[in-house]
Amino acid sequence: MNIKYLYIALFALCLCGCDDFLDIQPTGKIIAETGAEYRALLTDVYSTIPEDRGLTTLRTDEMAADASSMKSLDYDSYFDIWNWTDYNRSPSSLYFGWRRYYHSCYIANYLIEHKGAITKATKDEIDQMVGESYMIRAYMHFLLANLYAPAYTKCIPAETRGIPLQLEADVNAVLKCGSLEKVYSQVLEDIDSAAVYLNVDRWEEGYTYRFNTVTAHALRARVALYMGDWGKAFGEAEKVIAEYPELEDLRTSTKLPTNYKSVESIMALEQVITPVLMGVGHAEPALISSYRSGDKRQKMYFTPKTLTRWVYRERNSSEERCTFRAAEFYLIAAEAANELDNSEAALKYIKALMEKRYTDAKYAEYSAALDALDKDALRDEIAAERQRELAYQGHRWFDLRRTAQPEIRKTFKDGDTEEPYVLSQGDERYTLHFPAEAVAANPEIENWN
Amino acid sequence: MKKLFILLLMALPLTLLAQQRVIKGKVLDGDFDNSPLIGATVKVEFKEKERPLLGTATDMNGEYSIEVPSDAKGLSVTFVGYETEFVRITPEESVYNVVLRSNSNKISEVVVTGYQNIERRRLTSSVATVNIAEGNIGSITNIDQALAGQVAGLSSVVSNGAPGAPVKIRIRGTASLCGTQDPLWVLDGMPLEGTDVPAMEELKDIDNIYQTSIAGINPADIETVTVLKDAAATAIYGARAANGVIVITTKKGKVGKVQINLSSKLTVNPNLDLGRLNMLSSEEKVGLELDLLASGYSYRDKKGTVYQILSQLGEVDAFKAGGWDMLSPDAQNALNSLKAINTDWNDILMRDAVSQDYNLSISGGTEKVNYYTSVGYNSEQGNVRGVGNNRFNITLKTDYRINKYLKLGASVYANQRKQNTYLTDYNSFTNPIYYSRIANPYQTVYNDDNSYSYDKNVEGRADTDLDFNIFEERANTSNTRTDHSLMSIFDAAFNYNDIFKLTSQLGLQFDGYKLDRYAGEESYAMRYEKYDKRYNGTTYLPDGGMHKVNSSNTTQWTWKTMAEYRQTFKDAHEVEFMLGSELRRISSGTNYSLAYGFDQRTLTTQPVIFPSQSAADAMSFFTETFVQNAFASFFATASYTLFNRYTIGGSVRFDGSDVFGVAKKYRFLPLYSVSALWRVSEEKWMKNAHAIDNLGVRLSYGLQGNIDKNTSPYLIGKIDRTQILPGNIEDVIESETAPNPNLRWENTSNVNAGIDLAVLNRAISLTVDYYYRKSTDLIGLRMLPLETGFSSTTINWASMENQGVEFMLSTRNIYTPDFLWTTSLNVGYNNNKVLEESVAENSTYPSRKGYPVGAIFAYKTAGLDEAGYPLYRAKDGRAVSAQEFFKLDKHGASGMSAAEQRDLYTYMGTSDPVVSGGFLNSFEYKNISLNVNFAFNLGATVRVQPTYNPLFFDRGLNTNKDILDRWTPTNTDGKFPAIMSSDGVHNSEIQFYENYASFNMLDIWVKKCNYARCQSIRLAYKFQGDWLKKVGVRSASLSVEGRNLFVIAGDYTNYLDPETMGNPYATPLPKSAIFNLNINF
Repeated sequence: MNIKYLYIALFALCLCGCDDFLDIQPTGKIIAETGAEYRALLTDVYSTIPEDRGLTTLRTDEMAADASSMKSLDYDSYFDIWNWTDYNRSPSSLYFGWRRYYHSCYIANYLIEHKGAITKATKDEIDQMVGESYMIRAYMHFLLANLYAPAYTKCIPAETRGIPLQLEADVNAVLKCGSLEKVYSQVLEDIDSAAVYLNVDRWEEGYTYRFNTVTAHALRARVALYMGDWGKAFGEAEKVIAEYPELEDLRTSTKLPTNYKSVESIMALEQVITPVLMGVGHAEPALISSYRSGDKRQKMYFTPKTLTRWVYRERNSSEERCTFRAAEFYLIAAEAANELDNSEAALKYIKALMEKRYTDAKYAEYSAALDALDKDALRDEIAAERQRELAYQGHRWFDLRRTAQPEIRKTFKDGDTEEPYVLSQGDERYTLHFPAEAVAANPEIENWN
Repeated sequence: MKKLFILLLMALPLTLLAQQRVIKGKVLDGDFDNSPLIGATVKVEFKEKERPLLGTATDMNGEYSIEVPSDAKGLSVTFVGYETEFVRITPEESVYNVVLRSNSNKISEVVVTGYQNIERRRLTSSVATVNIAEGNIGSITNIDQALAGQVAGLSSVVSNGAPGAPVKIRIRGTASLCGTQDPLWVLDGMPLEGTDVPAMEELKDIDNIYQTSIAGINPADIETVTVLKDAAATAIYGARAANGVIVITTKKGKVGKVQINLSSKLTVNPNLDLGRLNMLSSEEKVGLELDLLASGYSYRDKKGTVYQILSQLGEVDAFKAGGWDMLSPDAQNALNSLKAINTDWNDILMRDAVSQDYNLSISGGTEKVNYYTSVGYNSEQGNVRGVGNNRFNITLKTDYRINKYLKLGASVYANQRKQNTYLTDYNSFTNPIYYSRIANPYQTVYNDDNSYSYDKNVEGRADTDLDFNIFEERANTSNTRTDHSLMSIFDAAFNYNDIFKLTSQLGLQFDGYKLDRYAGEESYAMRYEKYDKRYNGTTYLPDGGMHKVNSSNTTQWTWKTMAEYRQTFKDAHEVEFMLGSELRRISSGTNYSLAYGFDQRTLTTQPVIFPSQSAADAMSFFTETFVQNAFASFFATASYTLFNRYTIGGSVRFDGSDVFGVAKKYRFLPLYSVSALWRVSEEKWMKNAHAIDNLGVRLSYGLQGNIDKNTSPYLIGKIDRTQILPGNIEDVIESETAPNPNLRWENTSNVNAGIDLAVLNRAISLTVDYYYRKSTDLIGLRMLPLETGFSSTTINWASMENQGVEFMLSTRNIYTPDFLWTTSLNVGYNNNKVLEESVAENSTYPSRKGYPVGAIFAYKTAGLDEAGYPLYRAKDGRAVSAQEFFKLDKHGASGMSAAEQRDLYTYMGTSDPVVSGGFLNSFEYKNISLNVNFAFNLGATVRVQPTYNPLFFDRGLNTNKDILDRWTPTNTDGKFPAIMSSDGVHNSEIQFYENYASFNMLDIWVKKCNYARCQSIRLAYKFQGDWLKKVGVRSASLSVEGRNLFVIAGDYTNYLDPETMGNPYATPLPKSAIFNLNINF
């Protein structure tokens, strides 16, 4: 029976070797452990950030369209967005994003929750990633609130439904909506948390799509502006300008200020107006004519396709990325200062921007005219400058929402027929419904209370 | 019988006095021209049962000699695969020659489970064996085709009648929803990889040419197929066996002279008859187009040649205003000549197909070594021109007996397969079967100048100018799949003594395939490709064709080792233990490459000059994947038999695998089974029931489990690279799989109870099995709230039960020396019920709770209203309009809650057959034999595609005659709904049908699918006579077989075959006539 013992020995050997035998690292699959791997998780979030700010351009008064500009495929996808059809949409219509935002939040939360377990990284590197994660979470919730909840300045935030806040990485959670006020206070809290951790002041070229220390001020300034918190908006904008005072000089430069290499670029993440979105329609003639003579931006941003039809000028799209740039903060500072009755500061910042945008002669003329304006007139002038400066860059829809929510009229010409569309003043469609697929996956989500 | 007994009794005193004497004789093979049978067992039988065993085996010349005590009753002669003969001995005679006849209808004495060979008398589980003899199953080209109608509880559905297409096999219904539902295939003990048949939905995707590794096995090499059904039988195979196991045992060399077998087969498949489709003729189609033009129906109103002719002549408005009479003679002539063209697409796209099959095998052996070698070639043509499949096989098997203890064996199974078909990457209408159903009868193939005549109507969208002609397409595109497979098995058996035995087996499998898709410059496919890759209106692809290659390689090795212990104590206690381990590793990789500017003559390609970074990013010229998995399992079985009557058995197996991102303790999955057998016929009190040869009762219980390997409690990501800002490429980890720490094991518990009965010298044998399988915590995909960041995860979401009865009756109706008639009827009834299912709150389709898993629900209709719109049957029995039934608002959306909408559906039936089985008859008269096999599937329903869509009827395409029976103002008795266009009254209904695809959900599109197929009628003749020997032939036979000659079915008007009703792209099963010549040297 010797054989039997031999066999038992073999069998036992087999059992021991088994664990090694079963240890297979699947090709291409990974559970993040090291700093570099967690960074790769974040990079994925950055590379898939929703481009909805660009998509909002379709709903604004910036883009006109007709059958010749909106071709069949674009028509199927974008027509309902362009003409504010929020009910009975065509099945092929696109939706604004939803899950992507929360997926970014999930990764951010996951990183925050695992910060103690990250290996092979310095404390600074880990802190910076944690800071970026808080910024991602804040920015995602902020964008969602501005797409899917009423404007903060146009409601009683504590009594208004906001959006679900994802503050934990938990796939089994069924989230509910909180108040809009809750959303904004969470966003501000997250920015504060981020500020504690962020430690990279400036990223090297090629990495400037990441959040840096200044972006905490930048986002806070934008959030405060949307809340109508002028003091905070002014203070934070000035802090940004202190770090990034330079503006692209359009009198001499051929580079767009949205270029990632522009001197005024603070953070170059979102593409905003992608080549596809540019092609959906053409620029509203009123927008083109709002550029006064001597304004370098008209021809920098737009190009005439025919005599009457201007379209956004397509550049090398991979270079045009901009989430924050200095000009926005000059505009925020000017607007906030004006509201704070500090016309001196308001004029200082708006003129500093205009100087780089107009020919010298026209700058002298237009800037001199500003001095005579009262607060209301100056507000209008700053708003007009803001529209011109930030045209097609994903700001207009949110500016319309937080200010007058004016009536917008559009017509769609197809052959001989002209179909008119109206977004009336304060229209409920200034706020989007939650996407149908989100409601389908969580039927109670759009309700509150 | 009784007389003989008395005679024997009378002789008893005499024989008692007699001493032991020697009896001699020869055992001959009745099926093989009375050649000697070597190794047949000769056993002495006594009147009393409790006597020590006494027996011998025949030698090289088939001779035996045995000392027989004087009180012996006779001799029983047995040989595996042959019917046992009993010979009564008389004191006068001492030489008895016995002729054994093999009986393919008979169950063999030993059941091969792949791990063990179990004697039937001790078999506690539910197992069925099919003898793969031609007389039994007819001519088949793939083994998976052979099982239809052969085994109770095994249902087989042909996905597609094209050559080489796989067959979907289910054993005892569906047990899992998420994982594979296919049984495990085992070849001579080695579990095969690559046998999963893709889901039906994927099979409908005609772009795929699909082959399983089963398709590579030559049926001519197969001896038997054993189907393991209950948990007691399958538990030993572990988690992979949850859907049953099919064990293939190949032929072996027999000790004796060299045997050479040559078989050649010629198969003729006559052209398909598309007449059943009831397509419109040119006259009818032109009439339909004119009617639609007159009615003002606007969907794709510029399609159809009628419109094109009238619009060219500028007479569209004239026709709309005044009809036919207002048309100019030119227009009338043009339309009349259109009516006169009747292109027979059936005739020019299909053909009579001829297939060939040749097999040569050489086998033989001595006591030291036996061998089996075979070569096979099979070439199948499809009825569709340009479609075919061929296979080349080599099988080498050798067993060596090294010494008293050690036996070694080596087997190699190699094959190459090549499948040709059409290229359908760009549009479904490039599939000839589908095209033959939608192409207009007035469409021509060539213009008068012999150039291709392009079909302007088929493309659907109005604004493309990509010309399509199916003949051009066939000439300039190709789609070829080449499979290579090498399987080899090395066996070692160490028989220390009769009690202890060690065996080991190493199995290797290398499978690879290459899929070549080519589109030449002058093809619709290439024009489409260029249209798709444009920048500023012009393509940036180089001139020339396109070549796509997918290749895949799978390698597996399995090494198993078993120790067996078997002993009998005091002639009453039989004990058997087996302990074993199995290690397995599989790796598979795929490559994909794409090239443009391809020139088929020089095999050169051209680079693509991209206009932009994003265009370049969107195209991938090369991708590669690699996956590796490892498995380690340990198993044990034990069985104990008392008095040859009571057997209890058990088995346990731990399955370990390389689950990534899971705690190590979850790596091993335990499965077990217990079972028992009571052989009632062996009881003393049954001794006098002479009529009963065998009566056994079996009972088993087993537990099977499964865990989803893709879900982990951790966040698992996929590594990739990306570029956000120019010039800076970085690593990213995409993590789109939701981690879920709450996932539990999927469990299936199985109970099986069975009775085996054989009476009247086995003239009637019956097996009845009842089973109950309950699956709980079934793993399935569940939608997640999107606010989690993920869209879905796998959860335990349902439980389900399958219960059924299987019934297998074999009878020997007439048995005379010249004539034999046997019948076998097998029926499986399976009732599947979903016990629990979590349905999303928002779902508008009903839950299957209380219904089968394949439940089909539909809206009950109640005819048509006064405008030809469908009416619905409300709960109270009234016929109501869609508007009322669905409470539609003016935009066609239902005002009902999701729960109320779910309630509108009515259960129509299940997509799986409830009863399936086969009825097999075999007649043998002297040298002639006749087999008639039927297979049937009953109780299934199928949702078919609507014959036309009333909103989106594309008049550019042909359709069947149903549309002529639609409701129109002049045909108010029409059976089918009117063509719908805005009339101001039905707007909400129109929008409803338009937006919610609800038209497909009407009950009129659900059909019953009951059918019996005459699988095979085969007439064979065996040559006999001395002249055979003179030409060196031992035996020869000739047969003619008709396969799939007819189908007896319920209503399947408009379809070619009830089995493929649900899939308009499928080639139906072809009819065939097969001529077969088989010669043994």
